[in-house]
Amino acid sequence: MNDMQWTPIGSEPVPPPLPPTRVDFSGSRSGFLNMVTKGAMLELVTFGFYRFWLVTDIRRHLWTHTAIDGDAAEYTGRGKELLVGFLFALAILVPIYLAYFLIGIEFERWQGFASTPLFISFYAFGQFAIFRARRYRLTRTVWRGVRFWMDGSGWAYAFRAMAWGLLVFLTVGLALPWREASLERYKMQHTHYGDLRGDFEGNGWTFFKRGWWLWLLSPIAFFIFPLAPFFYAEFKAREWRWWLDGIRIGGVSLSSELPHNAFYGLYWKVIGWWVLLSMIFGAYLGGATALVVQLSGLSAEQLFGPGDPTKSIPMLVIMVIGYFALALALNIVMRVYLQRDLWAKVLETVEVHNIAAAADVRGSGELASALGEGFADGLDVAGF
Amino acid sequence: MSDVSTEAPAQPAKPTIFFDGVSSRRRQVSLTLGDALEIVEEGGTPVRWAYADIRRADSPAGLLRLACTAAAPLARLEIRDAALAAELIARCSRLDEHQTSRRGIAKIVGWSVAAAVSIVCVVLFGVPLAADRLAPLVPKPIERRIGDASEVQVKTIFGRNVCEDPAGKAAFTKLVNRLRDAAGLDDDSMTAGVLPTSVPNAFALPGGKVYLLKGLLDKAENPDEIAGILAHELGHLKHYDNMRGLIYNGGTSFLIGLLFGDVTGSSAVIFASRSVVEASYSREAETAADTFAIEIMHKLGRSPKPAAELMFRITGKEGGSGLTNILASHPLTEDRLARMTKEDRPASGPPLLTDKEWQALKLICGSGKV
Repeated sequence: MNDMQWTPIGSEPVPPPLPPTRVDFSGSRSGFLNMVTKGAMLELVTFGFYRFWLVTDIRRHLWTHTAIDGDAAEYTGRGKELLVGFLFALAILVPIYLAYFLIGIEFERWQGFASTPLFISFYAFGQFAIFRARRYRLTRTVWRGVRFWMDGSGWAYAFRAMAWGLLVFLTVGLALPWREASLERYKMQHTHYGDLRGDFEGNGWTFFKRGWWLWLLSPIAFFIFPLAPFFYAEFKAREWRWWLDGIRIGGVSLSSELPHNAFYGLYWKVIGWWVLLSMIFGAYLGGATALVVQLSGLSAEQLFGPGDPTKSIPMLVIMVIGYFALALALNIVMRVYLQRDLWAKVLETVEVHNIAAAADVRGSGELASALGEGFADGLDVAGF
Repeated sequence: MSDVSTEAPAQPAKPTIFFDGVSSRRRQVSLTLGDALEIVEEGGTPVRWAYADIRRADSPAGLLRLACTAAAPLARLEIRDAALAAELIARCSRLDEHQTSRRGIAKIVGWSVAAAVSIVCVVLFGVPLAADRLAPLVPKPIERRIGDASEVQVKTIFGRNVCEDPAGKAAFTKLVNRLRDAAGLDDDSMTAGVLPTSVPNAFALPGGKVYLLKGLLDKAENPDEIAGILAHELGHLKHYDNMRGLIYNGGTSFLIGLLFGDVTGSSAVIFASRSVVEASYSREAETAADTFAIEIMHKLGRSPKPAAELMFRITGKEGGSGLTNILASHPLTEDRLARMTKEDRPASGPPLLTDKEWQALKLICGSGKV
């Protein structure tokens, strides 16, 4: 299909456009696996604090192995920046949580459970965090010695996201494509590569046409559960392709031939691993119980039954260890399939048109702080 | 290809590319390895990088990408020829100085463990201490406001109106006043009422509010049973348990959330550890309130045992598995019954309510079923 695109059309005298360039991903899968395995273990012994460095390492790996027009990108962010951003975000979030609590009390005095809508303000804050986190990541993205950067306001973005969110809520999800288009337009129009300005040409209608039937069919997934991963994979693949097709930076544009069924395998592999690991966890618990019963001479009823809680401490320790091992393994599985493999799968379908427009771009833009990432971490939101 | 570098301007087979960090232009350059690295573009002025300033930047396999601390921060030199790369690496002594080394990781681990230990210590010792010290200091108006807020919630759940039957109310007030005097609580700081719901329970809210639910009254067989329960709730008021719990729960959930972040990608660990820690704190508070109830009942010359019997009638034997014991917010009813039975003494004081008053109290919400 791809070579159809630049067969000469007619016999116009204009010179034929340069062939599109591909994006190559050369990262080794085993290298990535090693990195996330080691990272997951370090996360465990550091009670999660290593996450800042692991996330940085993952991004460095993905960025450096992604080459556009033969030149690999680079991620210049560092774990320490994320840690500092997180600590700053905490210092700001703590008073906000307190204020939330106090305002909540005033609302509750007035009417029971009236403070529930206050929760929405945290959603708005999360949107702000998503925007600012994107700005951080982008200013750490370097290609050909020039960085990407962003202007625009996080609050303006959060306002748009909220207004559109309300509309999506009122239309039971039907407005989602237009929401995504509008938000993406805002993000891309405030995205720059050196002195090139980004834009987003995808529109909600195109996305709607590609996915409306998924919206109609999605209630079925509530009844026939195994269909849900298929629906989700379909939706994600269509969303990705629509998104990539709309991206413009200066005169450079992207397109993608991502097949609609591209993610079926990925999601099912994750589910398969999840089932397998849960079964191993179950077997481990069963085996450990049998072993403890053997060694201690207590019956299983005594172990779990009424009475002295200290008797169940060994069992508790075994369960906690097993739980952590399970969480760790799942973490690795998610990162390998849903970050690395998904990245590689999407990139191999991307074509870059008119890359010559980025051949002599003047660098500009300032580095953004990691505060946004800190907020996103503190509020547990993700997005890009 | 090993002899390329012996020539002054090395011309490797694979191109060396230079990005000056100002523009994205791809400059094909040749390198001269003299007393400093000289980057020469045809027709351009050569750029000199001192070897000590050269650092390695991230790059895919088969490519050496260099940056220079003295040059523009994003200036990059990309060497694709392995022999040339090896020769340059040999000259740059501080090439990998900025990378996270094993020692760097050990430092991260060390500091994280230190942070975790300190957070755990604060959760186990600091927060309970802070809660105990701060709770009595919370200004009464604030406490009352919090109490008003939770009162609105409670009434939304259990029914809007407090039971108002005049005779029943008089009996209830008499009972509560006797208990309050024995407990030595401030006069103005207390309100009490019966809420019309079939749930058998009673609770204390911040700002001195005690509520008895009708369901408990229906199950009670004599005034001492209700009195013991109310005395227990007064114990919570006396010990500022609500404010203590609020400060304690807020503090621990914040700190535990901070500690685990999203190590598991789920909040299961946070939830589990919070439940265990908070339940043990709550069990302590309940035991202290029981102690208080026993004292009050003794002071009034009545036995605390009937209250425990009432609880036992409602909950039955609770002892579950070892796990549920760890997670329970209250001591087990059978343990409380055993304790109150030990404190059982023959009545030495007058009955708290007359038979007539007791009957009136039972009908405080009207005679109908709720």
